[in-house]
Amino acid sequence: MVNSDNIDRVHLLKVIALDTGGTMTDSFIIDEKGSFAVGKALTTGKEESIGILNSIADSLNEWKKDLQETGSGVEALVYSGTAMLNRLLEREGNDNIGVITNAGFEDLHRLGRALQCWMGLDYAGRLHAREHEHPPSLIPRKNFKGVRGRINFWGDELIPLYEKDVEKVVEELLDIGVDCICVCLLCSYMNSSHEMQVERIAKQIMKDIGAEIPIILSSEHNPVRGETPRLNALLIEQYAAEPSRKQLISIAETLKDKGVPAPLRILTSYGGTMSPYSKSLIPTMVSGPIGGMIGSKFIAEKYGIQNLVSSDVGGTSFDVGLTMEKYVPTKWESSLGGFILNIPMIALDSIGAGTGMYVRYNDVSGRLEFGPESAGYRIGVCNEQSGVEKVTMTDCSLILGYLNPVYFLGGKVPLNKKRAFKYIEDQLATPFKTDPFETARGALDLIEINMKNHLNGMIQGLGFRPENYTLLSFGGGGPLHVAGYSKGLSFQNIMIPEWAPAFSAYGCACADHSYRHEISVDLVIDPDKAMSGFVASMLSSTWNDLKIKISNEFEKEGRNPEEMEFKPSLKLQYFGMLKDLEVESHTDTLTAEYSAELDRFDSPDLLVILKRYDDLFEKIFRRGTKSPELGYHVTKAVGTGVVPVPKPKLPEYKLNSEKPADESSKGTRDTYWGGKWYDSSIWEMKLLNSGNKIKGPAVIEAPATTLVVPPNYQVKLDKHRIFHMEVK
Amino acid sequence: MESKKIGWNGKSLKEMLEESEKRLEEKKSYYGIESLSLKEENPFKYERAYASLRGALVSARETALHVAASPIVTEIGELCFGLYTPEGDSIAVSTGILVHIHTMSEGIKFMIREGYEEDPTINQGDIFLNNDPQCGNVHTTDVQTLIPIFWEEELIGWAGGVTHQIDIGGITPGHTLVSSIQRFDDGVYYTCRKIGSNDKIWRDHMISARKSVRSPLYWELDEKCRLAGNLMIRDAVYEFIEREGVDYYKQFIREAIEEGRQILQKRVKERLIPGRYRAASFMDLPMKNQAWVPIARVDKLSNHPVEIVVKEDGSFFLSFDGASAGGANAFNCDKGAMEGGQWVLLTQVLIYGDKVNDGAYYAVEKEYPLGSWANPGDPYLSYQAPWGNLIPAYTTMMKCLSYGLFARGFREEVVPGYGFTGDSIQGGGVYNAGPLIGERWMLSTFEISGQGLGASAVRDGLNWGYAMWNPESDLGDVETWELFQGGIPYLSRKVKPNIAGYGKYRGGGNYGSTAFIANSEKVEFFAGREGLVFHGSGGMHGGYPNSTSYRLQATNTNLEEIFRNKRDYPMSDDDTTNGEFERFLHGDIDRKPIGTIYPISLNNYDIIHFSESGGPGYGDPLERKVESIKHDLDEGLYTSEIVNKVFGVIAKFDDTANEWVIDNKATNERREEIKNERKEKSLSFEEFWEYERKKITDGNLYEAVKVMYSESLKLSKKWGKEFKEFWKLSEDFQIEVK
Repeated sequence: MVNSDNIDRVHLLKVIALDTGGTMTDSFIIDEKGSFAVGKALTTGKEESIGILNSIADSLNEWKKDLQETGSGVEALVYSGTAMLNRLLEREGNDNIGVITNAGFEDLHRLGRALQCWMGLDYAGRLHAREHEHPPSLIPRKNFKGVRGRINFWGDELIPLYEKDVEKVVEELLDIGVDCICVCLLCSYMNSSHEMQVERIAKQIMKDIGAEIPIILSSEHNPVRGETPRLNALLIEQYAAEPSRKQLISIAETLKDKGVPAPLRILTSYGGTMSPYSKSLIPTMVSGPIGGMIGSKFIAEKYGIQNLVSSDVGGTSFDVGLTMEKYVPTKWESSLGGFILNIPMIALDSIGAGTGMYVRYNDVSGRLEFGPESAGYRIGVCNEQSGVEKVTMTDCSLILGYLNPVYFLGGKVPLNKKRAFKYIEDQLATPFKTDPFETARGALDLIEINMKNHLNGMIQGLGFRPENYTLLSFGGGGPLHVAGYSKGLSFQNIMIPEWAPAFSAYGCACADHSYRHEISVDLVIDPDKAMSGFVASMLSSTWNDLKIKISNEFEKEGRNPEEMEFKPSLKLQYFGMLKDLEVESHTDTLTAEYSAELDRFDSPDLLVILKRYDDLFEKIFRRGTKSPELGYHVTKAVGTGVVPVPKPKLPEYKLNSEKPADESSKGTRDTYWGGKWYDSSIWEMKLLNSGNKIKGPAVIEAPATTLVVPPNYQVKLDKHRIFHMEVK
Repeated sequence: MESKKIGWNGKSLKEMLEESEKRLEEKKSYYGIESLSLKEENPFKYERAYASLRGALVSARETALHVAASPIVTEIGELCFGLYTPEGDSIAVSTGILVHIHTMSEGIKFMIREGYEEDPTINQGDIFLNNDPQCGNVHTTDVQTLIPIFWEEELIGWAGGVTHQIDIGGITPGHTLVSSIQRFDDGVYYTCRKIGSNDKIWRDHMISARKSVRSPLYWELDEKCRLAGNLMIRDAVYEFIEREGVDYYKQFIREAIEEGRQILQKRVKERLIPGRYRAASFMDLPMKNQAWVPIARVDKLSNHPVEIVVKEDGSFFLSFDGASAGGANAFNCDKGAMEGGQWVLLTQVLIYGDKVNDGAYYAVEKEYPLGSWANPGDPYLSYQAPWGNLIPAYTTMMKCLSYGLFARGFREEVVPGYGFTGDSIQGGGVYNAGPLIGERWMLSTFEISGQGLGASAVRDGLNWGYAMWNPESDLGDVETWELFQGGIPYLSRKVKPNIAGYGKYRGGGNYGSTAFIANSEKVEFFAGREGLVFHGSGGMHGGYPNSTSYRLQATNTNLEEIFRNKRDYPMSDDDTTNGEFERFLHGDIDRKPIGTIYPISLNNYDIIHFSESGGPGYGDPLERKVESIKHDLDEGLYTSEIVNKVFGVIAKFDDTANEWVIDNKATNERREEIKNERKEKSLSFEEFWEYERKKITDGNLYEAVKVMYSESLKLSKKWGKEFKEFWKLSEDFQIEVK
């Protein structure tokens, strides 16, 4: 994808962002002016770096360059991939792991708190108990060993650790020949002494017999309350993330050998990036949809937008995330491959609603139903070679004239409109007793309203209304459906970047270099705030520990910790509640002042944070739900360390007239809207210039996406080549 | 002053309700609707409208969940919202404890019938609270908040939210009280009471409510949570009306319910075969040596006979005719409980993918015989733990439906039953050490939401993951539960063998837990579950029921000394004949074959063991594949003794490979041997009938059984006639009881 203004540029390569999917590896390269190019190559399973080099070469080909000649100027190199996640989803990780829990809790992992059996299902699936199923355990049952001993929830020892048990189970695990030992004991987030004792004994035994395998403690890996997610995180780290480390390092070294000076950074689920040498890699397991969120935050900053909702329409899913007051919230609970986790993850919700989703007629209820299954990359019945026999959303878009049958993926995949029409007629319209075109439009309406509900639900769930938000739409299918799924919601603005299909990769390049750590603290502030001085000093000291921990991580990868900006925050709830909200702190050293009148230490800084929490709470949950009279419970201290890295620039072009140049016009085509056919103008996206305005009904085509402008809508291309959609 | 009528077109709500009932009666369709005109005119707009309302309910629940406090609500999601017509019929519902959705309908109808419009009046911004089982609720512990929604001057609907409380201020701490025997033991009662106006809860109410329960903090937060969700629903309704117009809304809500009614009927037609289906279950309540009040000192068995009649047009009739009597115990069910139980199961089995609303309620004709446990007709009885009868009783409906599903070929949908959502252990105490010294803790683990589900006709049942009243089960983390009940820390929570019902396909398995008392005083403990009877109506087509419950606790123990000296302590009770309690502990070990006990006192270092319930099995266990048995052994779901005895499989544990190995030859022999034993033991039907009949005519039955059948005979002539005909007894036959 090259935009018209790019021609004849010098193109100094500055940023490389990589996204390796199951089939394709995408690369997104950016030059010194912010112009970009996209490359694609087949993913090469065992040796990912080959596919990556091919993909980079493909993108540089657009600029007629190669990596040898331009690589030395690269300032940012960011990777995101699905290899680790696929290792988990396809159960191809390392299950040769030993686990030590409290005796009596060896079944913790497979009990899975029960909710894992329905968590990923939709409304009907949740009700239909018969289809609930637990995810199979990652590790064989015989690898779980128990040791007696207990710590209670306030951190006191209830039962001493039985050292003999530890000796016995460590020996048993070594006998089995496990590759590492994970230790997860109850309440270790409050008191880690038993876990540390286990580590000491195990190391001694190994020393005695000359063995050496890693021992990982949950109290170090992720000291957060909730033994099921804590153990899951520990296991997934070893099962799926750790086995990928070698591969990541190999990618880093390959690119270094090719003369790329910037260190490889991997995108994390909390939106930062980390080195492949980091202690824990699990935060990098989900990064695909996160890229889009980071890109959205970047756009929000550049455009000065307070609240932005990002919407990503892919082939199989519709992902929605929010940037609120320039801050991207993280989730209460996260999950990966069907397992609940407690690792920080950007609040991003997905529903099955992609362009490849199936549409069908239900003859009992007499209505159209859709998804969640999808034809995915096989597109639909219109793709004759695909073997798809059920109508998809893309088939509907095709017969309505929105898609150009000879320009799908730039013409690489010819689409058969007649075939799509026949299938829609037979499978949907005839049983539904309606006209096939009306049926196709109706089906898209239903799906788009489902998307809209999802979008609106997320915004309202945080206490806002669409009027407070700007909508950003991207992904291959975003421009095609954005008019539909935003209909009736009065967003401040609707923005569609020209590079919508590659926006997630672009987002990767926008990510900070950061580490984020959370730790359960469980500090209580009573309603009269008598303990605020004490809590403040505890928090300050915890943040200091986190700061040192993160500094060390940066130092380990060769960065100067002095450059690091430390962002402290905390998670709070009203006393008695179970769900917390994250609030930023303006300082990592909270004041504690002596009040002679009350004869105690108070913390004005902490009171400022509590007020911020009250305000946020009221904003989210509204009317009369605030409960400061119950006191507060500080659940976690959170620290994020960020070091500066080069970010891509937004390309900037001079504004032309509203009227598009003649060469950008591709004539007209009939498109169907609200029961009528319209003679719609057709445009080539890359030939439009900044400043051009297109009135609907119109279709703007690019090889990897199609922007559909319904009647009474118009779009304008701004100086950064982002379309703005308006309803007249 | 005569108050202004708030119904549509100048009518009162009462007039609207009467009209709705009249039209249903006359036309046999909801509100007398003859055609779904909105759906026919523009099916897309119609579906969009429904999707937007349901979407609003789901997101209101998701959001409100995070405001709620009690661990039961937040951690386990014991919260549900619904939108209702002015007459109180549900239009759409969120996910969550769906059992309560119809119950709120009855609450609204109660207010209308009682003339609330005139006094205490119903206005925009008013807040009503209800937890009265006589007004549709299941038990006092489920607390409902209802708000009216007005558009201009007319009431156009109600939003309702319900949460399950951790304590309701009853005769003992807890949420499902087994020692409650009359209304006055059931805890605080709010009978559709107005508790706020202008979207604000009145302060006097909050003060009084906080004093009425043992967990005031949770009460307050849950009350705010229900209100917050309702307000979000009201906003969504306004948005709907602004978009579609109020006329569309008014017509739409009625058509959506009528469509729900039609869909249930269509699903019945699609999935079941016309005919008469019957099944029965039983429940024990061994109170003779336990109850505090003389009138309650009875060992009681309840009879739960169910009959379903499916007609060719898909109409569905459900009757509990023949049910035994209610009485001075906590297991009585009023209408709300009966409707709720039925409704939640029909949504799970038949209409999960369709419009879930009160249409389903109107599609089912039902009979709850007066005087029986299913409709005692006495408001002064206790209705505190109706679940005791409700849960086993509705397994019968599941079994009847399963026969239909099986016959139609929906073999994968067969659910002969489910585990009892127990062991419901409850109680509480006061910390006497540590940072919370002097504070009260409540024992109320809602991990009971993770029970075993029954096997289907093609596969095993789900392990530890099902509750009939809330399909979104969640065990919660031990670290979270202990925050709230830290005086009874866990010693173990692990899979327990031999819980799953045996069968060609086994029922869901489950786990058992052991816990001890620490840092506490004034500890009370009680529990509820079946014990002397098998749960529900058992397995299907030769499958066995799941194992029954029992009680095991140890007091006056030497546990402190054991810990100090790092010696063995009990963590499980897998082999009851050679129990760890007996082997490792000194003290008083109490092992009883009953599941339900009145509160007892416990002290520091006393230990309890409790186990969750499994699901019933399907088909003959001798037909179970040996590979599946190997898996069951490797996963610890059955012991080798049971595998030998019931499944006829001989297996040995291979220490080197660390797994079970099946001896195929010995297995074949053992299976033959069992078949021969069966042949030897078996009787012809006539012989069996004679044998059983003699027990009846000789009065050679356990007293509780006699009492149960005599109640059923007394309460239903119809059932009695069939009973006597079957056993060829004289028309004036009676069972003599003491």
